[in-house]
Parts: sequence; structure tokens; C-alpha cells
Amino acid sequence: MPPATVRYRWRRQAAGYAFTGPALLILAAFLLYPIGYSVWLSLHEWDGYTPRWGPFVGLENYRALVADEVFWRAALNSIVFVVVRTPLEVGLGFLLALLLNRRLAARSLLRTLFFVPVVMSLIVVTIIFQRVYEPNTGLLNTVLHAVGLGAWAHPWLGDPATALPAVIAVSVWKNVGFSLVILLAGLQGLPQDVMEAARVDGANAWQLTRRVITPLMRPILALTALLSIIGSLKVFDLVFIMTRGGPTYSTEVLATMLYREAFELNHMGVASAVAVILVAVVLSIARIQALVLRESREIEAA
Amino acid sequence: MGNVTDRREAHGGARAMSRRRLLRLGVLAATAPPVVLRARRATAQIGGAQPTPAPAPAGELKNPAEFRGPKIKASGPTTLSFWQYVGFHVEVQKFIAEEYKRRHDPNLSLEITAYPGLNEQRVGVKSALAAQSPTPDIIAIEPGAYAVDVSTSGSVLDFTKVFADDPEYKRGFWPNALDLLTINGAVVSVPAVTNTVIVYYNRSVFRQHGLEVPNTLDDLKKIGATLNAKGIIPIAYPAGQDRNFPIFPYYTYVGGIKADRLLREADLGLKPWTSPELVAGAEFVEMMAKSGLYAKGPLGIKEPDAIQIFATGRSAMFWGGQWMRRSIRAALPPGFDLGLFPFPAVAPGGHKPVLSSVGITLTVNARSKQPDLAFEMIKAITGAWGKIEYTKNLGLSPNGPISADAIAYQMQSLKDPLYPEFLKLQPTGTTRVIFTPVVEEAMTQGMQALITGQKTAKTVMESVEAASQKVGTRKFRTG
Repeated sequence: MPPATVRYRWRRQAAGYAFTGPALLILAAFLLYPIGYSVWLSLHEWDGYTPRWGPFVGLENYRALVADEVFWRAALNSIVFVVVRTPLEVGLGFLLALLLNRRLAARSLLRTLFFVPVVMSLIVVTIIFQRVYEPNTGLLNTVLHAVGLGAWAHPWLGDPATALPAVIAVSVWKNVGFSLVILLAGLQGLPQDVMEAARVDGANAWQLTRRVITPLMRPILALTALLSIIGSLKVFDLVFIMTRGGPTYSTEVLATMLYREAFELNHMGVASAVAVILVAVVLSIARIQALVLRESREIEAA
Repeated sequence: MGNVTDRREAHGGARAMSRRRLLRLGVLAATAPPVVLRARRATAQIGGAQPTPAPAPAGELKNPAEFRGPKIKASGPTTLSFWQYVGFHVEVQKFIAEEYKRRHDPNLSLEITAYPGLNEQRVGVKSALAAQSPTPDIIAIEPGAYAVDVSTSGSVLDFTKVFADDPEYKRGFWPNALDLLTINGAVVSVPAVTNTVIVYYNRSVFRQHGLEVPNTLDDLKKIGATLNAKGIIPIAYPAGQDRNFPIFPYYTYVGGIKADRLLREADLGLKPWTSPELVAGAEFVEMMAKSGLYAKGPLGIKEPDAIQIFATGRSAMFWGGQWMRRSIRAALPPGFDLGLFPFPAVAPGGHKPVLSSVGITLTVNARSKQPDLAFEMIKAITGAWGKIEYTKNLGLSPNGPISADAIAYQMQSLKDPLYPEFLKLQPTGTTRVIFTPVVEEAMTQGMQALITGQKTAKTVMESVEAASQKVGTRKFRTG
């Protein structure tokens, strides 16, 4: 290869490294290093106060987790959070996006209203819903009594059977507007000629939605679902403020367990093990999602 | 603990105590009739009853305690950092620090960082201590696990030498308050305030239905039945507030049968949690949950909800802490006749249990570059003069006994007849603190299981004992 070409290629590569270097450094310092450090800590015993971590314990923290029924409870609750929240959030978001994609008189107002919970402070939302769910004077039970359904009145957050669904409902209410906005943007970006062709071919609204819009929207639906799944797995603040994982661990999720182990029980090693598992799960889901998307695109292309 | 109302009021209180006002108070006090200043000067009664306030003064009084100067002063401009977690205490802490600077050490300033809550502050402190940071110089900690953590990790300094150099300062604290902060023989922290858990009640409702303040548990149950029949909730109990609240009934029973020492020994792993007295405590929690005395779903009720239930007259009683007094007062409609009483005796012939603990406590970072100055600042805040100003502003119980003159001085601005009532109850308080984090967690979950009827008293205490045994031999002793 002539030296001029080598120099040119080197210069081009150097420019690339120069541009991406700072971002890579930041990524390494604030993402890769903490992940690596968490893995390291998960193999040690440490109370979080003493300046140096404690003795190397190998996989003991992971073994302790596997034997801990609270971990399995938290893992199950996290899965329930994902399984319930994601379809509701994406499904409702898609439904609302389809409705708001039509010519409606109050379309802008409705769009804004649905998006308001997304921009509201989570603390405010949780305080509002704590009041809504309050068993004696809360809005929900008051309304139930007012409409003759007093028998359904319930201590929503105080009963282990209803606490998790009550928290998930708030989470869906808070986040459905986000899915709506993404999906609405997707709908508005769909090729109009394809839609027009379907209509000319005699497709009714249902057929158009099912046979044309939904397949075209699949990548965006998948992205929305992925964001919702990751959000559900990471959920912490909402649960922590509303129930602190209680009563009797009925709303404990992996993130609240992580916090409890790290900062209330001083088991930094165990908490790091939970963090490592959580990161691994989130990365795996992201990877699976990416593979599924790629496969569906390949099928479509074929 | 604090809320917006508390903070707002605390701001107002601090404004009222500007330097100019303090000077004016001093002048007025100097010109007041001497008989007022001499009125019933009570000697400190450690562990005894607090004196009742002196008769209403003719003129404005001043803080009767001497604001003693430090033994060590800053050689040049120095700023101490202080990390705490109760927003509504900031103004009074600032006020005392500024007075200290003005009167005794012009070079020394205090920079206060108030975290929004204990959890956030503890995370920040933990990171700072693990990083061997000399900041903050002064740390606010809670009794129990937090005190154990910072003490056993060697992160904070011992007050023993400070007390040895100044025995009068030590005598200014309630001994049971210092016991809570003594870990492995070292006094790891000193309290700024103390507090009690009592029953607030609506006197008008009691009068209206011919009810008397209950002396025994049976009395309370009868009151509950009467109120329930009238459609009034007997007790608003915010068991969902935090992880300590679900344990309150348990502490109440154990304190009521004078088994708090046994509880402490079990906490330290020296006695089993399955002993009959401690299982009886769990049975009491279960009984209370089923008694119909509480507002529905106590685990779903937080402090503001419970206050609302009480303030709107839906419940006749409210079981809560002294620190809620201002929030309750702020929520009550005009003319609401508020009273308080200690929880009735839980055992025949037993005493009335009042749960007691220390509020915010102050300690010195072992890596502080100015530990002596930090100790002096803490002495200013928690010492004889400081404690009167501190609690005058907040209406919380002081960290030790204060004179009748001091109470009279405080009542000039507090103007709340309940304040002296709280002070009378303080010395009778029994513990509401567990030191071993894992045991506290097991207790919280266990009590929640009892309240929701998921487990029996025996199985709950067996799980607490299992958690305790898992911890093994404790690395600490208390008191």
C-alpha cells in the first residue's frame, strides 16, 4: 500500500477516534467502570462504611441470594411488573395513538392531557395516589361508596393482595402518555401511499389497522415495549415512595431489594450481586429484542 | 419526620429569634420584675419529672441558661460542614451557630447541608465515610443501626473525653437518651432533642360521648366499641409511614410490661425472641389489629393521611409522635380541642407505656480536620443554652431536663399547652429502637404480617429469632 494511502487512512481513523474518544471515556468512567466495580463488589463482603471492601467471598453472595426467599419474591414481582405493565402501557398507548391520529376536535388538548402525567414529578404522582388509595378517606373508596359499590372498598396499599396491582396501575397511568407520543410519531411517519393503496383495495378501518398499520409499526412497538420492559425492571422510586416494598414484601422488586440490602442492611456485596443480575437481565432482554427485530426485518425484506 | 408545614413554621420561629429580637428580649428581661426571673428555679431532675412551667410572666423573659464559651477557638476563618436530614431543624441550628460565632468565636462558621430525608443523608454519609472524606465535620445520625454502623466502622469520634472534661455538659442529657447512643462503651453521638409517642385525642368528641381518658387496655377497648357504634373511627394509626411505625404497638406492649431490657438483650442476640414475654408482644400487635380500634388498613395509611382523618373528626384519637404536633396543629380547624395521653396500661396494674427516643443526634467525623472545633459547635447546639433555644423553636422535648424558668421562657413563643405535657412524659419513656438492622427488618415484616393477618404471633417471633441467629454474635454492645 502506498505510504500516502496509509497516512490518509490513519488520518481518517485518528479523526474518528478523536471524535468518539471523549464519549468513550465518559462511557468507560461512568458506565463500564461502575459495572465492573459492581461485579467486583459482588464477590466481596463489605458494609459500605469501611474505606476498603472486605474479604473475597467468591460466589457466596449469589448463593445467599438464591437461598433468600425475599430475592425470589422480588424477582417474581419484577416479572409481574413487566408482564402486566408492558402490555397495558404499549397496548393502551397504541390504542390512544390510533384514536389521536384521527381528525378529532380536541386532538391537541387530549394529546397534552395524556402527556401531563409523564411530565409530572413522580413524587407528586405518588403522593396524589397515596391519597387516592387511602382506605378511609381516599378518593377511590369514596367514589366506590358513592356509586353503591362500597363492598369493593379496600385498603389498596395496605393489603398484600392488592398493593402490587395498585402500584402497577399508577405506573401505567404515569407512563402511558410516553408510549402514546412515541407511537403517535410513528403513526404519523407511516408511508401514506401504502395506506392509500389499502383503502383503494377496499380495506376497512379494522383491516387497515390489523393488516397494514400494525405490521408497519412493529419496530416502533418493539422499541416502546423494550423501553417499558426496561423501565419496569428498573422501577424503584415509585415503589419505594408508595410502599417501601411492603406490606410483607408484596411490592418488593429487585431495585428496592438492592437498595434495602445496600443502605439499610449494609450488605453491599449482596446488593451488588442483585445489581449484576439486574443488569444482566436488562442487557439480555435488550439483546433478545434486537435479535427478534432483526429477524422480523429480514423476513419482511425477504 | 419534618414536612412542609413544620419547615414553614420553623422559618417563622427563626425569624422571630433574630439577633435584634434576642437583644430586645435581653433588655426586656433585665427590666422585668425580679420576682419573675427568680420564679421557681428548679434543679435538674435527671430521670425524674419535668417541672411545670412558671406562672405567666409579666414581661418577656430571656433564656435563663448561660451560653458558655468554648475551650478552643478557631485560629483563623474556619467553616465546619454539617450534614443533617431534618429540614425544619435548619433554621434553629443556624441561629445557634450564628449566636455562637457572634458571642464566642467570630472565626467559626457552620455550613449546614439538609438532605431531604434520612435515607438520602445516610447514603451521602456512607459514601463520604467510605471515601475517607474529612467532610462533613459534623454528622447527624439516628440511634439504633445507624449509630452502630458509624461507630463499629470507626467512622466517628467518642464523646467520652468531652464528657470527662465537662461533666456538667454530660449531666444535661437524659441518661436513657445517652444509653441509646453508647456503643461498645463509647458515646458515639449526642441528641439535640428527644421525643415521645403518645395518643392525641379530640376532647370534644370524648366529652360529647361521655368518654374518659382510658387508663387500661379494657377502657380503651370499651371506648373503641362506643366510638365504632357511633360511626367514629377510634384511632388513626399511620402504620404505613416507615419501617419503625408497624413496630410501635410491639414496643408499647413490651415497655408496658417492663420487658424493654429483655427486648434489648434479644436485640443483641443474648436472649431469644421467642421468650413468652416477647411472643406476648406479638400477640398484642395481633389483638390490636383485630380489635377494630384502628382506622381501616393501617399499613396503607401514612402520617398526612392519618392526620387528615383525625383533624376532620373522622377519628377520635391519633397514635403518633411528638414530632407531628406542629403538623397536627396546622391541620386542625379552629376550636379543635386537642389533648394527649400516654397509651393506657397494657397489663393489669401496669404502667402506661410512653415510647421514647432521641431525635436528631450529632457526632464528629473521625477524619474531620477540626474535631475539637466540631465538638465545641455540638456543645453549643446541645448544651444548656442551645437546648432551650433549639426546642423553643421546634416544640420538641429537649435532650435533658430544663428548668421551670426555661419552660416559661419557651412558652412565650410556643403558646401550646401541650408542650409541657410532653415534657412531663419524656422521662417515663421506654425504648422504640432496635440496633441490629436485620432484626429490625424482620420485626418490620413480621409486624406487617401480623397486622394483615398473614402469620401468627409465634411464627413471626420465630422468624425474628431465625434472623437474629443468622446475624450471629454481635460486634457491639449498647448502653
